[in-house]
Amino acid sequence: MISQPLDKQLPHGVADLFFNDAARKRAVERTLADTFARWGYSEIIPPTFEYYESLAAEAGPQLREEMYRFFDRDGRTLALRADFTIPTARIVGTKLFDRAMPLRFYSIGSVFRYEEPQAGMRREFTQAGIELIGAATADADAEAIALAMTALRAIGLDDFRFTLGNAAYLQATTRDLALNDADDLALREAIRRKNTPALTQLLAALKLDDARKRALAQLPTLWGKANVLERAECVNDDARAAVEHLRAVVARLARFGLQDFITLDLAENRGMAYYTGILFEGFVEGLGFAVASGGRYDNLIAHFGPNLPAVGFAIGVERALIALRARGAVRATIAPDVIAQEYSARVQAARTRGQVVEVDILERDAAALRAYARVRGAREIWWRDGKSESVIAGDRKAGVKQSRNGELGIASSPLRGSAQ
Amino acid sequence: MSGLTIALAKGRLLNPSLKLLASIGYALRAAKDSRKLVLDAGTARFLVAKPMDVPIYVEYGAADVGIVGQDALRESGVNVYEPLALGYGNCRLVVAGKPEYKDAEWRLLAGLRVATKYPRMTKQYFAARGLSAEIIEVYGSVELAPAVGLADLIVDIVDTGRTLRENGLVELDEIFKSQAAFIVNRASHTLRVDEIRQVIERIEVKRDA
Repeated sequence: MISQPLDKQLPHGVADLFFNDAARKRAVERTLADTFARWGYSEIIPPTFEYYESLAAEAGPQLREEMYRFFDRDGRTLALRADFTIPTARIVGTKLFDRAMPLRFYSIGSVFRYEEPQAGMRREFTQAGIELIGAATADADAEAIALAMTALRAIGLDDFRFTLGNAAYLQATTRDLALNDADDLALREAIRRKNTPALTQLLAALKLDDARKRALAQLPTLWGKANVLERAECVNDDARAAVEHLRAVVARLARFGLQDFITLDLAENRGMAYYTGILFEGFVEGLGFAVASGGRYDNLIAHFGPNLPAVGFAIGVERALIALRARGAVRATIAPDVIAQEYSARVQAARTRGQVVEVDILERDAAALRAYARVRGAREIWWRDGKSESVIAGDRKAGVKQSRNGELGIASSPLRGSAQ
Repeated sequence: MSGLTIALAKGRLLNPSLKLLASIGYALRAAKDSRKLVLDAGTARFLVAKPMDVPIYVEYGAADVGIVGQDALRESGVNVYEPLALGYGNCRLVVAGKPEYKDAEWRLLAGLRVATKYPRMTKQYFAARGLSAEIIEVYGSVELAPAVGLADLIVDIVDTGRTLRENGLVELDEIFKSQAAFIVNRASHTLRVDEIRQVIERIEVKRDA
């Protein structure tokens, strides 16, 4: 049966998670948290909702549009967090700005966006990410990228490739262009989509100096290996600095042995409106969407307090799970090691050792308990008389049927002595 | 070479697309069978889909790349790369209606009804002009709508304009010009960076030859 129909069971874009799916998700989250912690990151837990005006601060029109907003009883507008970066920036800007730098934080939890669910990005979805605050160096950027790659590797997604761009390059190249809003939008859109025909048309219609035109026209082709940085036309010192910075980040990544997983892409200008420097996205086989994305945001914290440079990323946990499921790679299970017929000192000792032991509380007879043990996927049954019996892995459906009928349809497994 | 999956739009773009792909080394292994939706082209695999579905296949990565009309691409609103226009499959998306709408001042008309297969672009077009049009989404024979009183105007693709004339309609405004486009999934663009670059370069050479 698909499910019992119930009028308006769930709103669009949220999901129930239980059994092995919940276990797998938590296993992935734990591995990510452990990985972040080993790189010196500690957890920061912002509230689920806060004042809309703080969250909307530098969010950009699209993210602002996607925020869940509501009123408290005093009529103030609240919003559910749409990412972890903005709340973390508020906390650092208002409370932690004078601590020893850098600050290294990670967060894992739900964020909320009012958008059409797409490849695991529901309206409530889970981000696991880090923020590295108080350093504007290439080393900081390289650490963020290397950690994103290491985290994907830790959860079993080791065939990743990352794109790496620098928002500062496009910002410098388009500085003082004095375009009207429509042209500006069209230009960015054409570059973002690598839409050479549209870009050519647009540039022909705009009054620009030749160097600028050349620089913009070549942008859709500026992707690939390090030679991209040689080819990039630089119209001013800031554009040159942006390219140099990418070169430095790639050189740092080489120290981690991770430079070959990078595709440079100078046309990248998507992502959060608050990005000011490097931006990167991680892709894995079998998933048409980015599983990780991040970037540098050097002006965000200044909105809440003293200016502090920062870089961060988030992994989409549901997307990671989709990719992992295709690989059959997460083995987390809710099956107990043992089902005991009754509570005993042995049960207690086993639990203390870390075994998962479930005790029968329905006074099942032997046949029903064996059937139940099969359904639950337990490895052993511990009988009341102290004997242990290993559970024969069988057809789970048959097991269900047996437990309902209470009959013994399958030959009982050989009794074994106590495991102890 | 590669194991690329290429989504192709059914209909008038299919044959020129197959020809283009054959010229860059992706020739069909067997004669084209119009019922088959997955075609073997040696090192590549073709998925033949409805034009409106091709952008979705590519956005989700079910296909690495695709060839589709820019009309279907704009209408789908998907997030993909579109590095090449291919120079064939030219057509235009236009607003059309009975001749009396030619000189009518639309901004004074309340409750315009517009029939279209392109609701997204139609909505954008009228919204950008501050007109509160009622959009009626139909799946075929859009030209029929004004004649039977279903709609005042239509938004549709025009090739020669004959269908419009035969139904007593005239072109009122052009929304945009369309041609076949080569599109790329964002993940594939990174995961198969060398193969995709090679395909783009080869197509460019053939197209401009």
